[in-house]
Amino acid sequence: MSGTELVRVAVDAERCIGGGQCEMLEPEVFLVDDDEAISSVVGSGALPRPRADVVVHRCPGAAVSIVEPQRPSE
Amino acid sequence: MSPSAASTPTLAPEIADPRLYLDGIPHERFAEIRAMPGLAWHPYGDNGFWAVTRHADVRAVSRNPKVFSSAIGHTNLWDLEADALEARRSLIDTDAPDHTRLRRMVAGAFTPKNIRRWEDAVREITVELLDEFLAEGGGDWVEMVAAPLPIRVILSMLGVPVADGGYLVELSNYLVEGTSDTQSLPPDAFGNTTELRLLPFNSPASHALFEYGDEMRSKRRAEPCDDLVTHLVKAEAEGGRISRHEYRHLFHLLVFAGNETTRTAISHGAMALAAHPDQWQRVVDDPDLVEPATEEIIRWATPVLHMRRTAAADCELAGTPIAAGDKVVMWYASANRDEAAYTDPFRFDVGRGDNEHFAFGGGGPHLCLGAFLARLEVSVLLQEMAARRMLLEQRGEPVRVASNFVHGVLSVDMAPGWGP
Ligand code: HEM
Repeated sequence: MSGTELVRVAVDAERCIGGGQCEMLEPEVFLVDDDEAISSVVGSGALPRPRADVVVHRCPGAAVSIVEPQRPSE
Repeated sequence: MSPSAASTPTLAPEIADPRLYLDGIPHERFAEIRAMPGLAWHPYGDNGFWAVTRHADVRAVSRNPKVFSSAIGHTNLWDLEADALEARRSLIDTDAPDHTRLRRMVAGAFTPKNIRRWEDAVREITVELLDEFLAEGGGDWVEMVAAPLPIRVILSMLGVPVADGGYLVELSNYLVEGTSDTQSLPPDAFGNTTELRLLPFNSPASHALFEYGDEMRSKRRAEPCDDLVTHLVKAEAEGGRISRHEYRHLFHLLVFAGNETTRTAISHGAMALAAHPDQWQRVVDDPDLVEPATEEIIRWATPVLHMRRTAAADCELAGTPIAAGDKVVMWYASANRDEAAYTDPFRFDVGRGDNEHFAFGGGGPHLCLGAFLARLEVSVLLQEMAARRMLLEQRGEPVRVASNFVHGVLSVDMAPGWGP
């Protein structure tokens, strides 16, 4: 669908338990570190809002949040 | 009993009697509880528990660990004396920040990316077991395929030498016994001198497993390898982030947790495929269905029927007041058949779309560590069965475990056939 709002996501390293749900759902956006087992955002962290919502919903540590809306894409 | 308030709570029908489960999950009773207003109270021993049965309510409990604690009480239905609770505490019975610290010690090895590295090893074991099953013309699916697959995989991840595999499988089978009421070992088996009530599953096999874990730790300290035990030993060396108690219990949990559970998923999975040949044909015809079929098998099986939390403070759930100290039990077996969360929950559908099942937990921080590994094992098995155009035909009823905690199958006779 065109015009889907893009949002930026972030990981709260304190709360992250390395559960890997984010990496499973959006491997282009999240990567869990091998040693520390903490997820971080790779690249711009931009996702269409519905997909970002799913990651927020599924994160077992409630560590993923939507930080700011980005300008609407085509 | 707890519900102190003036209001008398609705009473749940009996769902804790282990004997009920000899005929399978009492789904009609769970449906009855789901339809009751608020939460139903279930008497148990000299106390009781709140039966949380709806999908949305299970999620609410699982994701609020500050209020619904894993550390205060036991995570099983029955209570433990304070010293036993301490002595038996593992990752699964901790809250943050201990939970976060311990979980991160091992979480890195279980991410989707790192689990994918085990795909070839899982396939090799799977092929060997399937080919043997076929060569024998079938037999007990649990003994021949469902049980050996997960244990062999986790042992190779831990770095247990192949020669010791048999011994650890034996220990692990004794622990499985400990989840039901049968216990065939004498208290002093394996040189155990610890009081059984202080050991996980009250089993002397736990003592043997601790000893084995200690031995491996010494070996990996002397000579590091590329395995999970080495990883834990390193973490320990780099600042003592893990105590001896924590290490032993983590080793124990890693050997055990994925064992009976994945075995159960694979057993019920085979039974479901045998009972729904049309669904299996869809998977054979379309490899893209392996992934949703894996989720559906795990939902269908729900190997862990419930987990318990204990209220850390007075609170409210589904409009029902809960008092600090109350037991709150999340029935995954019920949430996974909740008509409010699934269209046609009692239909086995390998193409089911949005399948947010709670077989790995209700979405909170204790979410199964081995979820991606279990998924890999089930999907590789489906792929290899499909590649052989294998069909399964169930011969007779399965022998089930009398347990309200695990949805275990002791044996089920399967005959192989071949599809078109
Ligand atoms: C189909 C197979 C499996 C099922 C259904 C299953 C189910 C579960 C459930 C229900 C929990 C508790 C969740 C909660 O309390 O919220 C759990 C936790 C756990 N599972 Fe699994 N499991 C499976 C396979 C595995 C495997 C293969 C491993 C291998 C390492 C494993 C290791 C663990 C561990 C270590 C925990 C504790 C996590 C924590 O407390 O943070 N499981 N599992």
